[in-house]
Amino acid sequence: MKIALFSDIHANLPALQAFFKDVDSRNTDAIYCLGDLVGYNIWANEVVNEIKNRKIPTIAGNYDFGIGRMSNECGCAYKTDHEKDNGKISISFTNSIMNDEERKYLRTLPAHIKVEFQLHEDKLNLLLVHGSPRKINEYLFEDREEKSMLRIMEQADADIMCFGHTHKPYHRIINSGVDGQNHFRHAINIGSVGKPKDSNPQGGYVMLTINDNSSILDKDSIQVEFIRFNYDIETAAKAVEESPLPNEFADMLRNGA
Amino acid sequence: MNFPEDLKYSKEHTWLRISDNIGTIGITEFAQSELGEIFYADLPNDGYSFEQDKVFGSVEAIKTVSDLFMPVSGKVIETNKKLL
Repeated sequence: MKIALFSDIHANLPALQAFFKDVDSRNTDAIYCLGDLVGYNIWANEVVNEIKNRKIPTIAGNYDFGIGRMSNECGCAYKTDHEKDNGKISISFTNSIMNDEERKYLRTLPAHIKVEFQLHEDKLNLLLVHGSPRKINEYLFEDREEKSMLRIMEQADADIMCFGHTHKPYHRIINSGVDGQNHFRHAINIGSVGKPKDSNPQGGYVMLTINDNSSILDKDSIQVEFIRFNYDIETAAKAVEESPLPNEFADMLRNGA
Repeated sequence: MNFPEDLKYSKEHTWLRISDNIGTIGITEFAQSELGEIFYADLPNDGYSFEQDKVFGSVEAIKTVSDLFMPVSGKVIETNKKLL
């Protein structure tokens, strides 16, 4: 079973279209979207409709949650006043362009998707969230203390937990077994299709492979592939520059920042 | 911001109130405002002793996990269970 997981498109239609082209060429069995369809670029409605038309199971990101409710708060935890000001422009612009039907779609997206595999006598729980299981906008960065990451996964009964929100992809395997028994849990940040922040401006997503032999007992029995694809970054960046959005957002796309 | 007169403050953003040789420790309003919403507090079990400036726990907020440092040496006799 090959499962494509993508998120954080952020209204970047050229990136989403390039993602679809890439994923369609890979014999994928299932596709899930982990949220943040809108914000920071001009194609909020178009991105919603592409995902809706393909009937992709999708969960809400913090930006979708805010825009769905016509809120002026996106839950983005900006640090500086400058970032906050730019953030305000983005949310008010996105609210101004969002159509009713597309806004309603965002409002009704679920918070989590849980997929339970039944392999051998074991079950294997895949949990899809946007930020973390306990909060839509919690940032789980790669340097999160192991104890904390493990507690979050154990409380959610997740053997494989996939999430986005930070736009920085990684895969961590943590053994939570006791008394010499292995129980490998996988924390996977799937990166971002339309606004990567790991210094690589290419779009990114994850291909997760679950096989007959996939198990919590064998850490290598679950394959995680980080896929990067090219898209027309200049078209996306110019669209930002020709809109009321801050021009800095365009350079962030060009630099993967 | 409110600065009650019976509190002493450490550089690591904890406050201390001493009464009858029992100290009560908390994190400052400033630290809370910097951290934002706190999702989890990892606090020590009763009976553990800690030296001054040692990490005795941590709080998990939206973007970071922040260690808590002892403003004085002492033994834990009770933690605020409402936080857990």
